Amino acid sequence: MRTVYIIGVGMTMFGRFPESNVIELGRTAALNALRDACINKKDIQVAYAGHARTGQLYNRECGVGQSILWELGISGIPISSVGNFCSSGSTALREAWMAVGTGMYDVALAIGVEKLTGRTGKGRPLTSDGVELLTLMGFSPPIYFGNVATRHMADYGTTPEHLAMVAVKNRKNAGPNPRCQYKDPITIEEVLNSPVIVEPLTLLNCCPTTDGSAAAILCSKEVVNKYTRKPVEIAASALRSGPYEKCKDITTFGSDRLAALDAYETAGIGPEDLDFAEVHDCFTIAEIIHYEDFGFCKKGGGGRFIEEGISDMGGKLPVSPSGGLMSRGHPIGATGLAQVAEAVWQLRGVAENQVKGAKVAFTHCAGGFQDTIELGDVQSSAVTILKRGW
Amino acid sequence: MTRDNSVSRVDTIGDFIDPKLRPFIKLPESPSEKPHLIGSKCSSCGEYFFPRRAICPNCLKDEMPEDVLLGNKGKLYTYCIVKAAPLGFNAPYAIGYVDLPEGLRIFSPLAECDKEKLKINMDLELIVDKIREDEAGQAVYGYKFKPVSL
Repeated sequence: MRTVYIIGVGMTMFGRFPESNVIELGRTAALNALRDACINKKDIQVAYAGHARTGQLYNRECGVGQSILWELGISGIPISSVGNFCSSGSTALREAWMAVGTGMYDVALAIGVEKLTGRTGKGRPLTSDGVELLTLMGFSPPIYFGNVATRHMADYGTTPEHLAMVAVKNRKNAGPNPRCQYKDPITIEEVLNSPVIVEPLTLLNCCPTTDGSAAAILCSKEVVNKYTRKPVEIAASALRSGPYEKCKDITTFGSDRLAALDAYETAGIGPEDLDFAEVHDCFTIAEIIHYEDFGFCKKGGGGRFIEEGISDMGGKLPVSPSGGLMSRGHPIGATGLAQVAEAVWQLRGVAENQVKGAKVAFTHCAGGFQDTIELGDVQSSAVTILKRGW
Repeated sequence: MTRDNSVSRVDTIGDFIDPKLRPFIKLPESPSEKPHLIGSKCSSCGEYFFPRRAICPNCLKDEMPEDVLLGNKGKLYTYCIVKAAPLGFNAPYAIGYVDLPEGLRIFSPLAECDKEKLKINMDLELIVDKIREDEAGQAVYGYKFKPVSL
């Protein structure tokens, strides 16, 4: 693999935009990335678009990438779609990374987009993708994470207050970030007293329903100097699916552990070398478990990790300085690339909620369930490690 | 308070069970019997599965693992109480994961949703009960686990 750099990133605002459509959102993010990279559209040689619900919600299973890029006069090049649950955007980035890293192309574009406000069932949890059997028995993503939380609390003494601290921290981080859907500060009491969705998870323990898009432009070491003196290096891009284990422990996610180990090994670093992380806090309990699965703390120590402020902005390892899914919102296919865009701004030193002197970033998103009644694992997990390339 | 939706007439209950769940549930044939879940067991490596599998993913040798009745007692591994219900389900209800004697950890609705009465590792037994309503408001049955002590 050749060294691959990110030379431009772009995002839309994240929020509820009932008037916009998937193509407009994607177009905005891609155009912002082109402008950020100061690159001619003719230089883009290959593109990948990540999206997970456009088929179900807008009858557009394929061709999202082609339609977005057609609007920007980018056509004739290989363009394909990547659908991989909440990791769709990260998977698009990884495809672009492999396309450039293997030497087949010099410049690639990855885009992630989703518009979730078109879904019906307001006030009900988003249903999971393709889990017909589980769904007819009453399954939903918050139910899975509610089960996770109950067991983590029983095994490790994690409390509702610990969960609330994650939401409070991520909302505080979102304050200065104009792209976040929710920016007003919240308190532990407000989180605890918000409506119960699935006990022990209240509404403010869950990420919201969101529209948005994000994009990144990648290039090889051979051409990077043509575009920028401050590229961000992709030190690792790992993708794993859920391992199958009988009677697995629900308080750890196997796909996450595999992806993180893979990424650390590829990048030649460990968790102690990270300056900050953007993780998949779809529910507050998930962030607490990510601390453990990624080696930020020992197994069971996630509650203490948030309580001691280690993941706060002033702590040893700030987690989700952008505001996380909790506050930025979670347009499924866009999230992975939004995390990468936010991380690139951090490494360039221009983020609104800047981690002082950040040089090494860890981003992670994961999602999807196997349609089995046996306790499975999260279906896809993507970890990207980014480093300053100058 | 949960309403008891148990059907005592064992000869008609099958009609109410969700068609997609019917293949996994062995109904009692007399009032003295209990319902069981139907899983499968690989003849080559001995691995158990629920629901049944077409091929043993463990060893790939047995392409027709035989059906087995699974133990109808289990232990509660974890649970949660649902207040915002998916369409067709009436909140509050409890749902969790149950450990079966064959070494399976399975997803199951629970027949008790009082937090004070649910404890991790408590003994549970399998019942057939209403789990939701279809679009026409008709009760749809499936399997559930209920605390043995109640």
